Amino acid sequence: MNYSLLSLEILVTLLGVAVLLGDLWIPSSARRLLGYVAATGIGILLTYAVGTAAPPDGTAFGGMFVVDALSNYFKGFFLLSALVVVLLTIGSSESISGYAEYCALILFATVGMLFAASANDFVLMFVALELITVTFFILVSYSRNRSGSLEAGVKYLIMGALASGFMVFGIALIFGSAGTTQFYEIAARQTELGRSPVFLIGLLLTLVGLGFKIAAVPFQMWAPDVYQGAPATTTAFLATGSKAAGFALLLRVAFSAVPDITAHWSRLILGLGVVTLLYGSLCAIPQRSVKRLMGYSSIANAGYLLLGVAAVSLNGSTAVLTYLGGYIFTVLAGFAVIAVVTAQSNSDDVSAFAGLGQRSPLLATGLTVSLVSLAGIPPLAGFFGKFLLLKSIAAHAGSERLYLVALLAACVGVVISLYYYFGVVRAMFWPRTVADLTPIPVDGPTRLALGICLIGVLYLGVFPNALVQGAKQAAAGLVPQTAIAAQPVHAVHH
Amino acid sequence: MTPGLHHYLIVSALLFSLGVFGVVSRRSLLVIYMSLELMLNAANLALVAFSQFNNNLDGQVMVFFIITVAAAEVAVGLALIVALYRKRRSAHVEDLTSLKY
Repeated sequence: MNYSLLSLEILVTLLGVAVLLGDLWIPSSARRLLGYVAATGIGILLTYAVGTAAPPDGTAFGGMFVVDALSNYFKGFFLLSALVVVLLTIGSSESISGYAEYCALILFATVGMLFAASANDFVLMFVALELITVTFFILVSYSRNRSGSLEAGVKYLIMGALASGFMVFGIALIFGSAGTTQFYEIAARQTELGRSPVFLIGLLLTLVGLGFKIAAVPFQMWAPDVYQGAPATTTAFLATGSKAAGFALLLRVAFSAVPDITAHWSRLILGLGVVTLLYGSLCAIPQRSVKRLMGYSSIANAGYLLLGVAAVSLNGSTAVLTYLGGYIFTVLAGFAVIAVVTAQSNSDDVSAFAGLGQRSPLLATGLTVSLVSLAGIPPLAGFFGKFLLLKSIAAHAGSERLYLVALLAACVGVVISLYYYFGVVRAMFWPRTVADLTPIPVDGPTRLALGICLIGVLYLGVFPNALVQGAKQAAAGLVPQTAIAAQPVHAVHH
Repeated sequence: MTPGLHHYLIVSALLFSLGVFGVVSRRSLLVIYMSLELMLNAANLALVAFSQFNNNLDGQVMVFFIITVAAAEVAVGLALIVALYRKRRSAHVEDLTSLKY
């Protein structure tokens, strides 16, 4: 077996263990050093992962673990969000009790995401998802002196364990009816399996688990509470890494394992997407807590992404990947600012952001760029993904009414989102009440993190070509090789 | 009469439903957590039964993964519930209401 395929996963694990052990020898006054070590390590791995021009494709563990364009695409983004999140924690390293463990847990969750990007088997998918979920139980409830954080942790725990219970039972049914859990082997027999009700029920239950991870209706209840209660840096990681991992797996299951069944169920996915995006957009309107607002915004974004999956086409998958790329930069920039402001004022209410334009022009600009990009306004990163996504839906809108309805709902969602995102922007620059106008200091690592994200958002907005090409390549790799051999004219990917 | 595959599956489905019912109907976090474990074990039973009757050991390997993951989940979960109890003096879902808009 070729262990070099797993080099990224092994190195991140070792880095996590090193941070954990380093805590034993480093005096508590120099804790911050561990954050720098973790950030430098991830930074090196990130340049290594993105910089390798043509990473060798291959499989390990008897086909369970696959390295291809899709996994490489996602791994870069997972490492990027881990890097930004670690940089954001360095500033508050003194106030987090057990800082070394916090960094190590972020690294272990990253390992779970890296494995999720490469999972080509329901068993590895389950183990990778659980590695992410269980570490997030701890990360969410990390500030255990705040009872909100603990409450969020317990809610995430119950909902997460429920979702994994459904998923495990679904995998058991899939294994029972198919006799295998590997995606390619299932894809080769999907016409026969598609007629087995046990297999279909198993698949539905598995999708429940993934639906929870991406916070799609009707498994979205946890998201606003957990986003609000968790420490801001954890929320940033939850909104980017964890959600992207869910979509990586959803795309792989949908298009590598059961493409024909996905095509059959496309209306179901489309309907869920529409309900999710309208639910997220409408519930975000009355929110006063910015973190909770981001929770609903994250639900709405999951809805848009599901529309791209429901398009069941190469363009749709490309749009989903492009959208996720821009979304990760955008959301990280937003949470970088939210983390600083909530730490400063001990509140995540909109009023804590009032007058931010005068208190810290840098932070205000960062959050504004992030929110404008989330709303999908050109020329920022959020625009192009949304545009491609709506285009992939519009391709079907002529022939099917439901897709037309989805297109209209997405446009309505965009309009509603303008309203609630600009509510925050207005509070920052044109506050109604006279706010506390003391300047907010921003530490070096946070500046660096914010800078990386903002440059990413602007660059991807103006020059989206490289990202779209990468996304297209990754999406093209989704078509299973055996399925092409079995069916020369593939109905799903055209 | 020796029990066949469907007997095992019926027991497994019953255990799973019992678990889901416990999660939605109970109010104590600990009982909810027990019900969640029941759901995982229902899946274990189904996997072992499928494995045995299809002569395919992969399912039993998966059971070991599930047991390991469930152990990790319980360790973290109980620690969280204990921490919450210390803070709030309660482990009931009705008291988890501080987060809302």
